[in-house]
Amino acid sequence: MRWAWLCAVALLLPCDAAWAQDDAVVITAVRNPVAKSYRRMVAGMERFEKRHHLAPEAPLRFKLLPRNRKTRMEGVTVAIEARSFGTPLEVAPDHTFTVPRDAAALKEDASVMPNRKAGTMTWRAEIRTPGLPPNTRRLGDLRLECEVGMEARLTSNTRPVLFGLIDALAREGPEYCHRASPRYLFFADHPLWSVTLVSGARREVLSVDRLYGGASRDPEWKEDLPYCDCEVLMDRAYFLPLGDTSWPDDTLVSFEYMDS
Amino acid sequence: MTRTVLAFAACVCLGACALPQRKTAQDAPLRPGEVLSAQAAKEVVAIGRSTKADVRAALGQAVLIDFDSGYEVWVYRERLTDKAAPPATELVLLFAPSGVLTKMRVTERSPA
Repeated sequence: MRWAWLCAVALLLPCDAAWAQDDAVVITAVRNPVAKSYRRMVAGMERFEKRHHLAPEAPLRFKLLPRNRKTRMEGVTVAIEARSFGTPLEVAPDHTFTVPRDAAALKEDASVMPNRKAGTMTWRAEIRTPGLPPNTRRLGDLRLECEVGMEARLTSNTRPVLFGLIDALAREGPEYCHRASPRYLFFADHPLWSVTLVSGARREVLSVDRLYGGASRDPEWKEDLPYCDCEVLMDRAYFLPLGDTSWPDDTLVSFEYMDS
Repeated sequence: MTRTVLAFAACVCLGACALPQRKTAQDAPLRPGEVLSAQAAKEVVAIGRSTKADVRAALGQAVLIDFDSGYEVWVYRERLTDKAAPPATELVLLFAPSGVLTKMRVTERSPA
């Protein structure tokens, strides 16, 4: 019986396509898009306001990143898609964007939806204090990025158990970021050679265990890779000791890149 | 009686000789990615000259992380003593896509 239904649907498909062609319908929507809940993203924005003291001079943006080798980032658009309306968002050349507050979008439980299929991109919060030295980030900014990312559920890992511990991300909230060594993945701007924490005279080069998604401790890392939203960003991925309060928020996270 | 005591003592001595000697962790052969001293290992390789084959011949198999870009990160960790807690002091090497060593560092073990 099920096969009969499938055959019927298959027979109807060419007719449907021909109808679409005749009427010159331009379809811009993507089937199974890589969408996030608007409500969750607003919750992330509220977290940012509540904890803005971690990064008092930085604005909040959201960022889209490639999720697999086939992903093309050129021409990415993002819109708030609700039942009764859609609002396009402005995407900057670095693939960051802001999300406006909209009562109607909240009421209709809208989605924030790029023009890409699920599994092709991942998301992060982008909180950057302006005026920092080149190749550095500020630890307080990254602490807040983690909290917003966890609140808005921006990570896109597709297997509950990954690299041993990442499954915690699927269940935990922003408090996860207060652990001494949370495995919340950050991505540097270029492939990483080393990451150093600098606070006054105190310096600490992070162990390679905290780089590349912890691959140096996981012989099976290549098998897990397709399920991690770090799949094509592995050489830029790092963890930080976010919950180690001996490092103040003004600590600089300094990067040395592979090709520098 | 004396004969019995002597026989017992002889058995104990022979038994002790037959038991395998207990080795410490430091006596065991190095595992892949393990070195006795990261600093000493660093001295036997040279940035801009050493190839992957050179390093493998000198230090043995590393923990290897290879990327699509052609870069490879090789990691050697000092063997931990029985009482030391991880992380171990590590020697990290970066090979360019050409296969030549381009960067290296020793990261000392953080105090617990």
